[in-house]
Amino acid sequence: MLDLVTNQPITLWIVIGFLAVSLLLYCLLGGADFGAGVLEIFLRKRQRVEQHKIIEKAMGPVWEANHMWLILMVVILFMGFPEVYSLISIHLHLPLTAMLIGIIARGCSFTFRHYDAKKGRSQKSYAVFFIFSSVWTPLCLGIVMGSLIPGGIHPVYATYREGFIDSWFRPFPLALGLFTVCLFTFLAAVFLIGESPAGEIRTSFTRRARVASIVTVLAGGVVFFAAQLDDIILIPRFLHSAIATACMILATISLPFFWMGLRKEWIWTVRSLAGIQVVLILSAWLWIQFPVLVHLPGGDLTLFNSHAPDRTLFQLAAALLVGSAFILPSLFYLFQVFKLDEED
Amino acid sequence: MENLLAARAQMALSLGFHIIFASIGMAMPFLMAISHYKWLRSGKQVFFDISRAWSRGVAIFFATGAVSGTALSFELGLLWPKFMQHAGPIIGMPFSWEGTAFFVEAIALGLFLYGRKRLPRWIHWGVGVVVGISGVLSGIFVVCANAWMNNPAGFDWVNGQAVNIDPMRAMFNPGWRTEALHMILAAFEATGFAVAGIHAFLLIRSRGSVFHREAFKIAMLVGAIAALLQPLSGDRLAKGTAQHQPLKLAAMESHFETSTYAPIIVGGIPDKKTERVRFGIPIPGLLSFLAKDDFSAEVKGLDAFPKDEWPPLVPVHIAFQIMVGCGTALAGLSLLFLFFLFRNPSRLAHKRFLMLAVLATPLGFLALEAGWTVTEVGRQPWIIYGIMKTADAVTPMPGLQYPFFMFAVIYVFLFGVVSWLMLRHINAVAQDYPSSANEDVHA
Repeated sequence: MLDLVTNQPITLWIVIGFLAVSLLLYCLLGGADFGAGVLEIFLRKRQRVEQHKIIEKAMGPVWEANHMWLILMVVILFMGFPEVYSLISIHLHLPLTAMLIGIIARGCSFTFRHYDAKKGRSQKSYAVFFIFSSVWTPLCLGIVMGSLIPGGIHPVYATYREGFIDSWFRPFPLALGLFTVCLFTFLAAVFLIGESPAGEIRTSFTRRARVASIVTVLAGGVVFFAAQLDDIILIPRFLHSAIATACMILATISLPFFWMGLRKEWIWTVRSLAGIQVVLILSAWLWIQFPVLVHLPGGDLTLFNSHAPDRTLFQLAAALLVGSAFILPSLFYLFQVFKLDEED
Repeated sequence: MENLLAARAQMALSLGFHIIFASIGMAMPFLMAISHYKWLRSGKQVFFDISRAWSRGVAIFFATGAVSGTALSFELGLLWPKFMQHAGPIIGMPFSWEGTAFFVEAIALGLFLYGRKRLPRWIHWGVGVVVGISGVLSGIFVVCANAWMNNPAGFDWVNGQAVNIDPMRAMFNPGWRTEALHMILAAFEATGFAVAGIHAFLLIRSRGSVFHREAFKIAMLVGAIAALLQPLSGDRLAKGTAQHQPLKLAAMESHFETSTYAPIIVGGIPDKKTERVRFGIPIPGLLSFLAKDDFSAEVKGLDAFPKDEWPPLVPVHIAFQIMVGCGTALAGLSLLFLFFLFRNPSRLAHKRFLMLAVLATPLGFLALEAGWTVTEVGRQPWIIYGIMKTADAVTPMPGLQYPFFMFAVIYVFLFGVVSWLMLRHINAVAQDYPSSANEDVHA
């Protein structure tokens, strides 16, 4: 294994790095945007208008950019790991299509709501679409991720059910979908604390962040339980890897500090802690999955056995590096203009 | 409904939907930048108002374009996994560059739409230009990938596998330059005339509105320049097609028999059985000239190719006629516009001229959709010309008609909502800038 890891060309590592970072950033930034939509379910009538404004102001300038990390992942997959992209596309057709519908509905309803020339009755319809798709899309995303584990995809199948439904319609992927929704909501609540003015509204987001953190922990428990139902040996796999275990322990012991920060309303402390927790959870998962991309009965597709030819990898890595020279500074400028300015 | 047909229908629908929004996303930032520039230089409020009114409409198109584009990046795999598995490593290059350009565009758009008050004026203007440039670049990259499907290059096909892959050569295949140029011009032409048509309509309703008059002029100028360059780019593209895809050219022109002095057939319906065109008007020699710069040159006809590789003749021929017809009409209108603009500006406000502009509103987009029909249906039965058949690329998942019906409902619904939103937006603008009575412009 160690041989396999050290013998890979540097270009492959660059591509893998971008894939992992895109996934992390999509979950952190895009996740917070999705969660904001979920939170709208729980807005009380009295504060609805103001909280609405806060969500619009926080998401408006950045949601399209945050969404791009997903596109980057797709591009890296189909150029760098074409077999994986093709296999996932075939067998997870249904949840992926469902996710697409969510993506379309959410982007459109959010923008339409903001840019409708008349703010009339239609606002309510946009809100319904926006909220529903904000739950639906991360649910599907989690389901897709959950289908990549052992026993998920059957490349050789006898029936429609076996080939196209059984891979994802099982306890574990569904539980992971639920967990994703909770996690994103948690991120959004924490993020919006800092976006709202001190006072009643901030307190209400703080309360939601606390509730969301507890619900997310419970949902995490459901994931492990569902893994048991699905005969996936998840806990031993975690315990087998020191790094994954350490990540999970760190995420757990940071919780009390997080709750303390919430009570004191230390905005950047809770934001960082929440971000770190999500990174830890994802890293733990990536670590036990590594280097496998899709588990298959006849031999897994890994980062090392399913990548594109060297010349393609080289040019992809070059494109990613040059591309980030354009993207990162402008992204930094975007966040600086809309996020950091508030401080001074 | 057959699986392959359902997959093709869904792809056609998604592309046909997305291309409208993508084109507006390419051209509108430049229209806004021109108006914005005029405001920054002249200080006339009306140009600021125009740019602002446009940007509110554009935000809606952009978001719809972004999400329908995301859907497409998945649909390529969902519908054509075998194609993507082989093509991914070869033409992933333009897609990864497109991803980069799209990313920059989204960032710049966020800054442009929401940063009006936060950014220094000229930086705000520059950001708007960046939106346009990255939009055009991402358009060029995507067309590179499409041009590769028409002119496969940068690999060797050995026993059903691609070997010796060179993504750079694949990206800069023989067709990319002409196809990309044709598409970019089409985006500016379609958007320019659509916007001009709307303002012409409002100008008829509220005569003398400086707001609509200036907006009309900017949009019309952009559309006219593109419309007059477009025939030249079309000519280059036709010559490339004659060289690399003679079968497609023969189908476009319903040219059945290989011959010298090959005619262009205007109108008509090709009949595959009798190998004749009914009701068409042939113009001898013109096709030879178009394809080879020589009236007497020999042009390969459909008979030079096995019948089972012919694309569907009727849609390709008719779509081509629609494209050329719309393009010619717009080029004529452009000449008229430029003539008035330089010789007799007062005529620009003449009701009959404005009526013509209103009638031209959808023509650019009609031509755009027809053009894509020509190139995509004209390549059938191939998905990668001469290498892989579309039927071999489709996903093995049965029941594709259901996703197709669903996407059809969604896109029809979305199209309706966007149109309705635009009507509301246009009405609001019309109310905000009804007439010129108290506008401080002496143009």
